[in-house]
Amino acid sequence: MYMTKRTKWIGFLFVIPFLLSFLIFWLTPLLYGIWISLHDFRLSVGNNGFIGLKNYVDILTPDTLYNNVFMNSLKNTLMFIVLSVPPLILISLGLALLIDNLPKRLKTFFRTVFFLSYAISVTAVSALYLWLFGANGGFINNLLLNTGMISSPINWTGDQPYAWFVIVIATVWWTIGFNMLLFVNALDEVDPNLYEAADLDGASSWNKFRYITLPDIRNISIFVMITTVIASFNLYGQSLLITRGGPSQSTSSLIMGIHATVFGNNQLGVGSAMALLMGLIMMVITGLQYWMSYRNNKEETESGKSEKKRFTRATNVGPTNVSSRPATTIEKKERKVT
Amino acid sequence: MLNRKYAMLMSAGLLTFAMSGCTPNDSGDSGKTEIKFINGFTGGDGDYMTKIVDDFNSSQDTYQVVQSQEKEHYTKFKSGDYDLVVMHETNLDTYQKDQLIQDVGPFMEAAEISESDFNEAGVQSGSVDDKMFGVPLDIHPLTMFYNKDMVKEAPTDYEQLKQLGESLQAEDSNLYAFGLPSTGLTTFYFTVAAAQNGIDLAKEGYLNFTDSTYADALMQYHAMVFEDKTSPEKLGLDGEFQAFMKSAEDSSKQTAVTFTGPWYYQAVKEKYGDALGIGKMPTLFEQEATTGNAHTIAVAAAVDDQETKDGIAEFLKFMYTPENLANWAESGQTPTHVATLELISEDPEKYALANQNQEQLEIYEPAPRVYQFDEQMRYMNEVVFTKLTGEANLTKEDLMAELEKATKAAKQVADTQQ
Repeated sequence: MYMTKRTKWIGFLFVIPFLLSFLIFWLTPLLYGIWISLHDFRLSVGNNGFIGLKNYVDILTPDTLYNNVFMNSLKNTLMFIVLSVPPLILISLGLALLIDNLPKRLKTFFRTVFFLSYAISVTAVSALYLWLFGANGGFINNLLLNTGMISSPINWTGDQPYAWFVIVIATVWWTIGFNMLLFVNALDEVDPNLYEAADLDGASSWNKFRYITLPDIRNISIFVMITTVIASFNLYGQSLLITRGGPSQSTSSLIMGIHATVFGNNQLGVGSAMALLMGLIMMVITGLQYWMSYRNNKEETESGKSEKKRFTRATNVGPTNVSSRPATTIEKKERKVT
Repeated sequence: MLNRKYAMLMSAGLLTFAMSGCTPNDSGDSGKTEIKFINGFTGGDGDYMTKIVDDFNSSQDTYQVVQSQEKEHYTKFKSGDYDLVVMHETNLDTYQKDQLIQDVGPFMEAAEISESDFNEAGVQSGSVDDKMFGVPLDIHPLTMFYNKDMVKEAPTDYEQLKQLGESLQAEDSNLYAFGLPSTGLTTFYFTVAAAQNGIDLAKEGYLNFTDSTYADALMQYHAMVFEDKTSPEKLGLDGEFQAFMKSAEDSSKQTAVTFTGPWYYQAVKEKYGDALGIGKMPTLFEQEATTGNAHTIAVAAAVDDQETKDGIAEFLKFMYTPENLANWAESGQTPTHVATLELISEDPEKYALANQNQEQLEIYEPAPRVYQFDEQMRYMNEVVFTKLTGEANLTKEDLMAELEKATKAAKQVADTQQ
């Protein structure tokens, strides 16, 4: 296509809004954050001068004020990721599979119902779970006591591991709708012919799921996993409002630690350095996830035609085990007749 | 035609972009000098402060107070856009050292207010190193509310509370004398233990919790829960208030008495009505004393033009008249302005809580004046009190180890001062 100078300029004009947004909302804050992290910047008295990497050194030097805050909250955040990511992915996938198998009208209804909780504010979610899991007179404790399942109330928000349990349950309930919606859309994209062919070859439900569904929603699964890990890194509202970071600072998250450093201690420079370190850690973890999934994908591609191979697997391990290659519907019909 | 389309598109884009930088015009259209006033009264008490501000504005031709009520009002104040700020006494030392506020002496003088217009507790609440950095507004001490259906008269010491606990426990194992929270208002519980044992926590600019007598006092809290059973264990956040509001009939732990913040007055009054009793903090330890926090009005260090200074003085002069400041007492807060206290005494029904808490002003011990008081207390609040009220096997040695950690953290916070 021939491009005149004028059309090039017009094209550039259309890119300007993106470039401006990128500069104003992404690049400038990032560079400003890096600049602040290299200064003794207090929220109260402003900039006290360039100090190089001192803020980073303070954070990474054991047994200092900021090291204790950062390491404790990093440890807690990683714990939350380990506890929350599997249910956030598996339960949302399970819900999506259930919804996918519903009649069309019910499908729309339940998809909306499960997504509704995502629209509620974290304050309302926390208030709800505080009421449910209150140590003194909470709904769950009263229920368990009245049914004789426990003899004394459980301190759900004040003892571990219960405190993590409540935060994870609240998070799953609150955010599950988003992942579920992504999975529902991915399941819609799976070619129904593959299921039909596998059915004819007698593949079991599990094998269809394992060798047809999972590989087909692989890309969206990786996306869900990466975004869920990032979202879990940003734990804040639930632990602030449900447990206040307790018991004994064991649910205090990285964002809570950064918030306390900036707004409690007035240390904007140290807080910015913490935020950048947090960003780096997130990038490394996300990069690792991406690399591992890329490597697996590459291995699978190199070791044969993946589409053909997984279909073969689905049918080979099925009860009839009749075919070593994908069969068309016509072929199957013919086989039945003969 | 295409050119016109592009031109319109560009114009619309530019207009949107330009408008995004606009803010509402907040400069005074009335020609009055504006005083920007920020406070954190976002609860029920906010309306009472608003009434004072509105009354002042309607009485004025020259000045106008523009009030902002924000939950994070300290953070906003640090932006430097405000002239006046309501500040807790525990923050005065920090803000003075960070040079964010200035001496209010000249403003008080211009407003014809003197230190002698306040009682001793009020003067202390606004002072840093014997200089006034906040005009005293009120004191909100640890306040005792009790259920008259369970206890006829206000308990005055721990022995009475212990006896009350024993009789309630004999009646129903879910009934207790009072509740100790796991977290929440625990700063007040730490400072009251120090004040009632005559211990000064501030040493060389930081909070030192490692005094053996103080550890003994804190172990008494532990004994209250695990030996005397005067308080249930593990009550959680704001547990002292929550347990007072519960009913043992619903399988919940209920207390007959609570030591909590006066800001819960409306809630407890609504629940108990005429059966609600108000008393002063009983002696849990060695001597009579109460602690809490105080509100003061501080002036931003950046205020330097004479017109704004005059406006601030005019506002203070208006506020510190008994009939105007009584609005604040109506919210349940206890002013330390002597003339206002006299007015309150004349109508004890209208100002029930403020009138009752007047008694507490005589035994009020201000919080230690250290840099970043709340941050220095953080480890104590988030870790130590939870252990005291939740770990049955906690020994004094275990506690001392925690107090050493808390002291170390407090010293590290104090060392961040420039």
